[in-house]
Amino acid sequence: MRTMTPPSPDGATSPADGGGKRSVTAEWQLALPLALAFASIFLAPLLMLVGVSFFNDDKISQPGFGQWAKFLGDPFSYKVIADTMLLGVKTVGATILIGYPLALVYLDASPRVQKVLIFVIVMPLLLSVVVRTFAWIVVLGREGVVNTVLMQLGIISEPLRLLQTELGLVISLTQIEMPLMLLPLISVMSRLDPNLRDASAALGASRWRTLFTVIVPLSMPGLVAGCLLVFASSTTAFISQSVIGGVRLIYLPLLIWQQSLVVFNWPFAAVVSIALLISVLTVVSALSWLGRRSGGYVHG
Amino acid sequence: MFSRRHLLAGATALGGASLLPSIAHAKGSVAAAIYPGTWEEAFRATVAPALKKKDGIDLELQPLFAVDQVAKAKAARGAPPFDAFVLDPGPRITAIEGGLFDKLDAKKLTNASKLPAGLVDEWGVGVNAQVVGIAYNPKKVPAPKGWKDLFTDPWVSRLGITGFQTTFGTVSLIEIAKVFGGSETNIEPALAELKKVLPKIAAVGQPAAMPGLFQQGQCDVIYTNTQTVATLKGRGVDIEFVKPETGAITFLTTLHIAKGAADVENAYKYIDLVAGKEVQEALTKPPYNFVPVNKDVPLPDYLPMKSLDEMSSFIRHDWAKINPLRAGWIEKFNKEMAK
Repeated sequence: MRTMTPPSPDGATSPADGGGKRSVTAEWQLALPLALAFASIFLAPLLMLVGVSFFNDDKISQPGFGQWAKFLGDPFSYKVIADTMLLGVKTVGATILIGYPLALVYLDASPRVQKVLIFVIVMPLLLSVVVRTFAWIVVLGREGVVNTVLMQLGIISEPLRLLQTELGLVISLTQIEMPLMLLPLISVMSRLDPNLRDASAALGASRWRTLFTVIVPLSMPGLVAGCLLVFASSTTAFISQSVIGGVRLIYLPLLIWQQSLVVFNWPFAAVVSIALLISVLTVVSALSWLGRRSGGYVHG
Repeated sequence: MFSRRHLLAGATALGGASLLPSIAHAKGSVAAAIYPGTWEEAFRATVAPALKKKDGIDLELQPLFAVDQVAKAKAARGAPPFDAFVLDPGPRITAIEGGLFDKLDAKKLTNASKLPAGLVDEWGVGVNAQVVGIAYNPKKVPAPKGWKDLFTDPWVSRLGITGFQTTFGTVSLIEIAKVFGGSETNIEPALAELKKVLPKIAAVGQPAAMPGLFQQGQCDVIYTNTQTVATLKGRGVDIEFVKPETGAITFLTTLHIAKGAADVENAYKYIDLVAGKEVQEALTKPPYNFVPVNKDVPLPDYLPMKSLDEMSSFIRHDWAKINPLRAGWIEKFNKEMAK
């Protein structure tokens, strides 16, 4: 591995390329419309959100740090943040556990089977999130598919409690978020040189050793991208969290909804939103740092 | 190049075209806020065509939840984006306190005399009553007598509850609190009793998720309104409504004229029409299942009262007292019920 030449870190726009400066300017101009759109529809509201959070009252008239003090001084807030992050971690873990083997199957499948697999993988994305969520009520409910089958097989005598539990929520989120893990993973893995595996086998490595020392490290960028997407999406999945998880499992999105649309305390809702944003961004940047490190390891 | 004559001809044609819709709209229009979902569907299907037919007025419905209506009207500062509100008791008080309504002149409403006493006041008109009580699945559990039963077997292990987010959830929890020694302003006893049986309770859900959870057999006893019961029954779900022994709860959904409304006269015509026999009768039928307020409309037999006058004995609540406490209750419910 050490003898491989590392690719230039910034690819095609490296200063060594002919006509470098001019093409950089052109690219900068090309990005301008998107940048302006982002500034107006994303950055401006975000700044307003931060601004609103520094008001003491729900009429947004007295500036102050009251809402922040209330949020940060309440141990319940930390429990909700921790639960939300943990939900993301568990969902990511479950999607890796099921998704990675599926990606390996996809890699070895014939093109025809691959087409079928891709369709099956993408299918959850084609359904509305509300339909998917209510389908899970039918599956996990007291009289749902899972309980009926287990009871008819005589495995259980009383229906299991799956709905409104964290287990049920993680199960459904795993299915709902699976495409977000699989699509980046498959796109990275299908670009792997098949010869690497043969080379590893020819050098005497077992199939497991090939998996852990060749395939897993090389698929790291896809895996990390998948983790990022699944984590960000499952921690903010308000509909699934509140419908499948119920009201006893409290996550940050539920708090935001209550404060903004029920209690109508926008400053507090803004504080909770910023807390959600910061905690998700922290985990996401840790993951992408990990991704860069593993990328360095592969190419180094 | 266009000659002046061409230009004039074009302008006339354009002007003529723009005149056409204004002729069709000669009687004008009225913009009314409406709850998204059943209310919007029902008003689009019944009120809009009736208003057009009777008064030649176009009804423009703006789907907005109660709190959003109040927020938009407050933000607009005297130039509200709609002429009429539709509100539940809590937000109604907030709006009165915020000075968002025009005073209502009952003399302008031909149907005012058809409504029971107390439905028309200086601020608005009650056009729909909600009757809240206990609903249960008769195939799974016997009929509960009252709120206290919900905390004992066999009901407690089949019970589904919601918090203070909705009007019906709030008033139900207040009635539970009363049974255990609380009051309109003290809901602690309800939370204490709930906490004791929490591990047994079948579901603690979002209000909007409850009908689905009931339909799927996740819970077999819930507190809800007659409208939900009738709608689920219409879909073939085994569900019956029980008036608790301490009394059924009722509250009104009211229509109001916004202060600074663009079309006050049309707003009166709209409100008058909604209170009228024809519309009330249409709204009472499935799939809408509203509780009518017009004395000329016969009551559906699933309701726990024979006449509208009987409703004066039902339990009502003072939202001027509840409003300031509700945010704290929601927070408390979160913390007490959280796993």
